[in-house]
Amino acid sequence: MIKQILTLALISILITGCTERIDLTLDETYTRIVVDGYVATDFGAYQIALTKSTDYFYNAPMPRVNNANVTLWDGTNSYYLNETVPGQSGIYTTDSSFEAQVNKTYTLQVRVPEAISGHNTFDASCHLNPVTPIDSITYEFHPEYGKEGVWFINLWAQEPGNEVNYYMFNLFKNGILMTDSIQKRTVSDDALINGKYMTGITVFRLNNAHKWMTIAIGDTITLQMSGITKEYFNYVNQVKQAGFNIPFFSGPPANVQGNINNGGIGFFAAYSNSYASKVVK
Amino acid sequence: MKTVNSGSFANNRNFPFMLMKIPYLILLPALLFISLCGQSQSNAKPRHFTISGKITDLSSGEALVGATVFIRELKTGAVSDIYGNYSLTLDTGAYSLVYSYIGFVTVEKKIDLHSNQTISIELNPHQQTLKEVEITSEKDDKNVKKPEMSTFRMDIKTIQRIPALMGEVDIIKAIQLLPGVQSVGEGASGFSVRGGAPDQNLILLDEATVYNASHLMGFFSVFNNDAIKDVKLYKGDIPANYGGRLSSVLDVRMNEGNSKKFEVNGGIGIIASRLTVEGPLAKDRASFIVSGRRTYADLFLPLSSNKALQNNRLYFYDFNAKINYRINDNNQIFLSGYFGRDVFKNAFAGMQWGNETATFRWNHLFTKQLFSNFSFIYTNYRYFLGTPAGDNNSFEWLSNLRDLGLKGDFSYYLNTKNTIKFGATVIYHMFTPGIARGIGTETVFSEVKVPNNYAVESGIYGSNEQQLNSHLTIKYGLRLSMFQNVGPGTVFHYDSTHAAIDSTVYNPGVLYNTYAGVEPRLGILYEFNPKSSVKASYARTYQYLQLAQNSTVGTPLDIWFPASPNVKPQIADQVALGYFRNFRRNTIETSVEVYYKWMQNVVDFKDYAKLLLNSKLEGEIRTGKAWSYGIEFLVRLNEERLNGWISYTYSRTFRQIAEINAGSKYPAPYDKPNNISVVLNYNISKRFTVSANWVYATGSPVTFPTGRAEVGGKIIPIYSDRNAYRYQDYHRLDVSLTFYSKPKPGRKFTWDLNFSVYNAYNRKNTWSINFVQDKENPNTTYAEKVYLFGIVPSVTFNFHFNND
Repeated sequence: MIKQILTLALISILITGCTERIDLTLDETYTRIVVDGYVATDFGAYQIALTKSTDYFYNAPMPRVNNANVTLWDGTNSYYLNETVPGQSGIYTTDSSFEAQVNKTYTLQVRVPEAISGHNTFDASCHLNPVTPIDSITYEFHPEYGKEGVWFINLWAQEPGNEVNYYMFNLFKNGILMTDSIQKRTVSDDALINGKYMTGITVFRLNNAHKWMTIAIGDTITLQMSGITKEYFNYVNQVKQAGFNIPFFSGPPANVQGNINNGGIGFFAAYSNSYASKVVK
Repeated sequence: MKTVNSGSFANNRNFPFMLMKIPYLILLPALLFISLCGQSQSNAKPRHFTISGKITDLSSGEALVGATVFIRELKTGAVSDIYGNYSLTLDTGAYSLVYSYIGFVTVEKKIDLHSNQTISIELNPHQQTLKEVEITSEKDDKNVKKPEMSTFRMDIKTIQRIPALMGEVDIIKAIQLLPGVQSVGEGASGFSVRGGAPDQNLILLDEATVYNASHLMGFFSVFNNDAIKDVKLYKGDIPANYGGRLSSVLDVRMNEGNSKKFEVNGGIGIIASRLTVEGPLAKDRASFIVSGRRTYADLFLPLSSNKALQNNRLYFYDFNAKINYRINDNNQIFLSGYFGRDVFKNAFAGMQWGNETATFRWNHLFTKQLFSNFSFIYTNYRYFLGTPAGDNNSFEWLSNLRDLGLKGDFSYYLNTKNTIKFGATVIYHMFTPGIARGIGTETVFSEVKVPNNYAVESGIYGSNEQQLNSHLTIKYGLRLSMFQNVGPGTVFHYDSTHAAIDSTVYNPGVLYNTYAGVEPRLGILYEFNPKSSVKASYARTYQYLQLAQNSTVGTPLDIWFPASPNVKPQIADQVALGYFRNFRRNTIETSVEVYYKWMQNVVDFKDYAKLLLNSKLEGEIRTGKAWSYGIEFLVRLNEERLNGWISYTYSRTFRQIAEINAGSKYPAPYDKPNNISVVLNYNISKRFTVSANWVYATGSPVTFPTGRAEVGGKIIPIYSDRNAYRYQDYHRLDVSLTFYSKPKPGRKFTWDLNFSVYNAYNRKNTWSINFVQDKENPNTTYAEKVYLFGIVPSVTFNFHFNND
């Protein structure tokens, strides 16, 4: 919560600089495995993408890791993930009846045919935290902000007081995910709201001037609230900032901290979801 | 959670650092004893008397700091202190005393000394009409003759001539042009001295610590030049009377106010206006000065076509005031204060931050040889941000740091060969690191609070400047510093991974942790001849407070935090050696200095550290060592028409911290090896001056990506070693032209008009580099340079009125 407030306050007073594309010569670096995916409490097929890292100005689709052996373990059962197009896609999926359960710890194990950065196996574990149900959502339109106004999406729910919780929010418009990259999602901890009934806390501020944020009358808006771990919360925050350096408040650039062992990059997450919808009138 | 109810020094883990007060008591008599012994043999027979007095500016009554009194016959002399007082003890005899100060006409006085005498001198500022006199006059030779190195004093007149960003004359921007001083970023008020961090500079305004010297995110500093008299920067060889920071002391003194006549000074610039009123309250005895400044760029925002901007407010203001009263020749009191605020408001949120300081001083001369000054000091840095009440998202967030301090400083002018200084200081620090909470009845927010904490910082010092013979002068001093954390307070205990395991709560008044430092300060001066000398110095400094800042420039929200059971004090040892040579009747001063500085327990932070509203901030800290070295060449010109300086510095600074950069050494954030500053001012005629400065610095070290990975639809960088790359080199030229009103004796109203251009050849100096994923083609990533300023022209009109 504090982070959002701070970002809003500071960004709004920043003196905007001028920008210019420049050419830089950067060193080369070795290849790492990149694991990206999650499982959640909704019924469905979940996908894990395996790619390789490249030099910074590679400027082509990231190379995929094919023919890997990918399994998921929930402490009791083991699930096998198949490559969607064997030997080509680098995307590994559970079967379509998969449903993760709260309070289990999920461990992903990846075995690759050729060693990457000196390793053949990579593991990642994530505890699946529960999430509080959303009672309802509301929206407000503020024409006074921005060029074409800003939509506020507000959350009504009871925040559990007995633990430290971390949340991630996604937004759907007419059943289609609007927040289709990590950059567009919001995450929050429960500092300032721990144990409170959240009477319309603003979780999204959608600037109508940006194409992906536009909402029109008649649209059905669905908010997804996910209970995530502290590690994933930190990871999403880090990914969102990655690459940007604002001398006022950016610390020294550092690699994003994921949960893949043996030098892997990325995060395998597990989380629970709750939903609420509203038709814009 | 355990609670300690009673008992002081509850934490004994830091035993090696602990020192009881006993050495304090031993130190001072010992110092005095040494120097007295040295004298008793040579000075036993002849009778001696003391000449003392005050050196002031004839036109305003202001004390002249650092004016010299030279005795022709003995080729020795004295320098006035910060209150303009001097004292000389000489054998019976006839002497010629030469009083001089840069920018003032030298006065020579013949005396016959057979009793103690008070000689107060008023020096007359140079007027253009007195030019013939000046050319023959001897300039002051402190550069060569004073056993003091690594320092730089500038009066406000010099600073005012330097071209400034948006015409806003700025002390700190002037300081950044000195050899050994680096700016932390384009337009920023932070500075790094000889490789130190910006929080290793002690910034004093009339003795009160200024914890955040910046306005408007650092583009301007808090010092309103109309209210300032002079500044002195100590980059090393820090005298024993200063303590508490590793790298430098920036001592800023406010004007006292004209005690002879009323004056009004003001200025209208493109972003701010200033107005200062000063004058006598009782002629030659009491005077006052009040000075204010406000920016007004925001007043034009309602005219903006962007409706979102119309309701925005973004401004700062400053208010300085000072009064002084000379009760009699032996007693003078001063009361000075500063109040400044930055205010930002828009429809959504508001933010305010600023410093306030107050200093009360009593300047007392016990005898003609023993001078003293007692100060009571208050300082407060605070910030606030929040949204208006009445909304379910309404909240406020505040933080502050307040100090209450007491100081006593004594100068004992034993004789012309020994000047003894001693004193003591105690500061009570009160930290409110941060409280964030909902406000109003509708709010859904509760409270997040980092517990307040308290500390007492004290110091005691003694030093002597001793002239051994006509060539050799030594300076030796010792400062003992002590820092104690006082309850109420909460101390977390951390395991080896820096995770908090439990905590101890201390009750009010409990001294739960003590650190002490022994800080020797030594210097030696060897004069080859009146034109050249060599100097060397050694200083150890301790620092008990630091800034939680891991960005290069920082924001007003960065907080200070104290040494504690988990945070050891930072320690620096610096040695310096210099050669000093004056030319052309001291109008050209040159010097070369080399230094090496070792720093222990320097603070850095883990990756992605959380520094705000974090009660476990100490778990984010990583400490290690740092070292820096360099060589500084300086040519300073005080010619009649041409003045300024040219400097070249080569320096390096590294850090090595176990858990950062895999434990390998890395260049410190302000490591910029090559640095050139050219600051010149040329008086073309009586009505027309031109100034220019050019700066060049190696690009700042920076961490760049070498690889990339794709996660969640975004390409993220994989970074190089810490600070393995550099930005492009920085260079910039600023120029200014000033026209003055026609000089006429007795004129009541004078003015000047200044045109300045910042970044005259439009260099796009890098402020930062971002790594961006192309919107059209998401597989493409590119580097994007951010620069802040193109050419920035400005115009400032200054006026001066007096009722003379």
